[in-house]
Amino acid sequence: MSDQQYYDVIIIGGGHAGTEAALASARTGASTCLISQNIETIGQMSCNPAIGGIGKSHLVKEIDALDGVMAKATDRAGIHFRVLNARKGPAVRATRAQADRQLYKQTIRGFVENQDNLKLFQQTVVDLLIVNGVVKGVKTQLDVIFHANSVVLTTGTFLGGLIHIGMESHTGGRAGDPPSNSLAKRLRELPFRVDRLKTGTPPRIDARSVDFSQLEEQPGDNPRPVMSYLGSIEQHPEQRMCHITYTNADTHDIIRKNLKRSPLFSGKIDGTGPRYCPSIEDKVVRFADRDQHQIFIEPEGLNTQELYPNGISTSLPYDVQIALIRTIKGFENAHITRPGYAIEYDYFDPRDLNFSLETRFIEGLFFAGQINGTTGYEEAAAQGLLAGSNAALKAAGKPLWHPRRDEAYLGVLVDDLVNQGTNEPYRMFTSRAEFRLLLRQDNADARLTQMGRELGLVSNVRWDIFCEKQKKINELTQMLAEFKIIVGTDLANKFNKITDVKISKDSDLLTLLKRPEVNAQHVMKLIDSPDYNLVGEQVEIQIKYQGYIKRQQAEIDKIDRQEQVVLPPELDYLAMEGLSNELREKLAYVKPPTLAKAGRIQGITPAALSLLLIHAKKIRDMS
Amino acid sequence: MTSVNSDRTTSGKLKYASGIETDTIAAIATPAGKGGIGIVRLSGPEAQNILVKIIGKKITPRYATLASFLDQQGEKLDRGLALFFPAPHSFTGEHVAELHGHGGPVIIDLLLSECLSHGARLAKPGEYSERAYHNNKLDLVQAEAIADLINSASANAARAAARSLSGDFSIQINKVAEEIKNLRVYVEASIDFPEEEIDFLTEGQVSQKAQKIVSELKLLLISSEQGVLLRDGIRLVIAGKPNVGKSSLLNCLVGFDRAIVTAHAGTTRDSLSESITLKGLPITFVDTAGLRTTNDVVELEGIKRTHEEIKKADRIILVRDASIKNRALEEELEELNLIDNSDENKKTNDRSDFFGRLLLVNNKMDLIGENLPTINISGNQSVINISALTGAGVDNLVEEIIQLVGYQQQTVGFSARRRHIESLNGALTALELGISQLNTMAAGELFAEDLKCAHMHCGDILGHMSSDELLGEIFSSFCIGK
Repeated sequence: MSDQQYYDVIIIGGGHAGTEAALASARTGASTCLISQNIETIGQMSCNPAIGGIGKSHLVKEIDALDGVMAKATDRAGIHFRVLNARKGPAVRATRAQADRQLYKQTIRGFVENQDNLKLFQQTVVDLLIVNGVVKGVKTQLDVIFHANSVVLTTGTFLGGLIHIGMESHTGGRAGDPPSNSLAKRLRELPFRVDRLKTGTPPRIDARSVDFSQLEEQPGDNPRPVMSYLGSIEQHPEQRMCHITYTNADTHDIIRKNLKRSPLFSGKIDGTGPRYCPSIEDKVVRFADRDQHQIFIEPEGLNTQELYPNGISTSLPYDVQIALIRTIKGFENAHITRPGYAIEYDYFDPRDLNFSLETRFIEGLFFAGQINGTTGYEEAAAQGLLAGSNAALKAAGKPLWHPRRDEAYLGVLVDDLVNQGTNEPYRMFTSRAEFRLLLRQDNADARLTQMGRELGLVSNVRWDIFCEKQKKINELTQMLAEFKIIVGTDLANKFNKITDVKISKDSDLLTLLKRPEVNAQHVMKLIDSPDYNLVGEQVEIQIKYQGYIKRQQAEIDKIDRQEQVVLPPELDYLAMEGLSNELREKLAYVKPPTLAKAGRIQGITPAALSLLLIHAKKIRDMS
Repeated sequence: MTSVNSDRTTSGKLKYASGIETDTIAAIATPAGKGGIGIVRLSGPEAQNILVKIIGKKITPRYATLASFLDQQGEKLDRGLALFFPAPHSFTGEHVAELHGHGGPVIIDLLLSECLSHGARLAKPGEYSERAYHNNKLDLVQAEAIADLINSASANAARAAARSLSGDFSIQINKVAEEIKNLRVYVEASIDFPEEEIDFLTEGQVSQKAQKIVSELKLLLISSEQGVLLRDGIRLVIAGKPNVGKSSLLNCLVGFDRAIVTAHAGTTRDSLSESITLKGLPITFVDTAGLRTTNDVVELEGIKRTHEEIKKADRIILVRDASIKNRALEEELEELNLIDNSDENKKTNDRSDFFGRLLLVNNKMDLIGENLPTINISGNQSVINISALTGAGVDNLVEEIIQLVGYQQQTVGFSARRRHIESLNGALTALELGISQLNTMAAGELFAEDLKCAHMHCGDILGHMSSDELLGEIFSSFCIGK
């Protein structure tokens, strides 16, 4: 006899996308159930034990601004924190932390178990219930039926997962866990376009077998950054050291001699791997002139001896892995605890999604994470948050949302995926964001928290802190603008003493803050209002970037205008005269919902956009 | 969908019905035609201010006012009619100003650049109709008419742009764009991959390289302002089988008008081009190698170049020998490899575009000795009967050519050139700003922003590079892989 259960939203999968999705849905008040094959692996970091980095910490701070948990969990589990690009200016500055895997998982589990409206259930989902193109729920292995208005699929690499070590291969969703093959089969029956991607991991190493005296040390930063705006370094556990070593000519010789035993080079793997994270065998072949490659040795946690040697992911056979590892300085006697492997998995063409991450073919069904062709915990979590909140909005009959490219990296991510699709695992980089100067770590809250509040995602605590911060920023800006410095006065002398800048005409502190030699600390000393010290840097960034931001505003205005032009789905692109065949096909494939989105399709011209505009107008006038 | 953003600033610009801010655009709004009257149209919040600056006075809305058009130094450029249509009662629904000049293409171009120097921006294709659309000024019939116009205008503009990019200009602009791209690859890689062992340029080197690009851009701008590197005007290719009288026709056309501008041997072994001013319109005629099937290597090269010329041409004059028995037109065109008659190609744009540009001439009428009508219609195609030897019928051909090309002259050729100069200027300004950011603020991310802006301006000429393509360049230049 089958059991029946009723929820607003079902989340399938408990990885980084699944947990943020479930938490976001529950935060808005929707009754939510997270179904995972194995509750013990909720919040598991399957790849390297690090959160953040360039482009990625931008996403983490956005998740934080919407009250998601990734940043909070990083502060409770991080054992090594650094600020990247510290010398390059605030827009491209990023935070990265090594995390203790166990602590991270426990922290996420804690958030999930303590969230109101959220239940957990351990079981493999084998089928989706779909009636007339609308999702109605899911069925599990034991024939338990979960009825729901929305379902979010966050199955990671588990759909049709195939693990390769050398010429051996076996099915699996991650080393040690089975894949979800019946669900993969069911999804392949639906009209989604499916393809294969590939990713890899390095062998893990036992720290007791490593000679650390041979390795370069890489300490965390001092002062130590935090990930969440609400976080503090008091939350951080004990900190650990990272290390750096290098491959050498001997390592490369071994790899070259064994290429025929690599599934990558023998043609056994047909999924596409990422260009930016090649396996060590790829690096050796493609950059043959390099005599060494860098390896970052990351501790897996406080209570484990395992190390993650980042930079040498490989799918070579185990015996080759041992041989190549032992050529590396410090690893001469290394013991491999887990062999490295490559994994191939199904992903669904994200061009079959709406910008809310709801699928176009099945109403109420949402996809988030690696299933959409992305890689990385941060990319997955950000999508999870978006899909989860939209699944809840959908269940409540409310309009769905998504941020735009000028509002968030999450907006860039979704827009790139849905508009352009991807043929390699998609990872975020700051160079993907044309409004990079606007999309900074430090203003993620200013860009998103109010929206999050309206959607019901943001708690009272964060909202109050946010409002206070914005108020202080406005007050300080005002204060500095009114703080006049008159040439020849004591104040001018004091300013000169602090900044080493001699002013030649009367001015105010806000204007003076624009100058390269003047910084927030200088002006804070002059106004002596310690209440505002925390927002000083914010005001400085805003005023220093002002000219550029104004320039970007013109571009944003244009997008605003074009976003208002809805392209009706019945537009027949294939029959449109005056477009190249290639463009017709691209447009027909993507079916962009607005003129702005059509404008970002590669190869589109202003003339082609005008044509779309006019055809849209024709359809609108006729209906 | 939007959220608060404390960085956004609102400027004091005007807002329209749609509630969205706009800037002011300008473009030449009329075909040259035989009358030689040209209209420069401005649309946007600054339209009236710019008009006042050029004519030196305010005018009554919707009344045609006679005025002198002045440049920044107060020199008179032209004298003509000025009109102002305040929003929302105008073509676009914005403030619209028009300058109706009497000058030829050069004067109208100067007038346009005057508008640009007062802060207007050169309109992109279709931008007027886009604005009209936003302000609910387009009805269905207008919309359809404009769609047709954009269809043909964009094809013409693409040809004009491709042509103006030939030769030295193309080589130099490509070189500058390549250097900007390479610099971006370094700068973006150092931002996105700070931990990789990449041999990044030091800041001094970056600034030095950028400075070198600035000098190159300046040189390029001087040459293109002088028109040295850019070739404008209408290009007509004379094609056909060998010995049908192509060269005689060229000689005949050259002799028809004494105002020969230049006469030089072409860059190809077998093509010869002559630039002629026919009734005020600059036209370049290109004589090409005769088309036929051959195995001769040199001749094949000539034929290859003929095909390239045909691709770039505004009009193709296909000359046939009337004194011999010719095959049906389509068969002959296929034999000459000019069209593909296979079924899947019968309906393509390329094919209809080719026929749209085709002008048929029957030569050697003197040999037939019959008094055929000078223009007859064969199928959908009109045919002009001439004798290049006696000159009979050539005046008809000239009339036909002028009618054909009259429309395109200013709108396509000159704006293509103006656009290139605008783009180069934009790239230069951005680079100079970026270098100062790098030198005074050590602000790598702002330099990157300016460098991107310069790259975009080059992209306006050469085609844009997406961020993903740039990433591809980074990954193939550097081994990245943490």
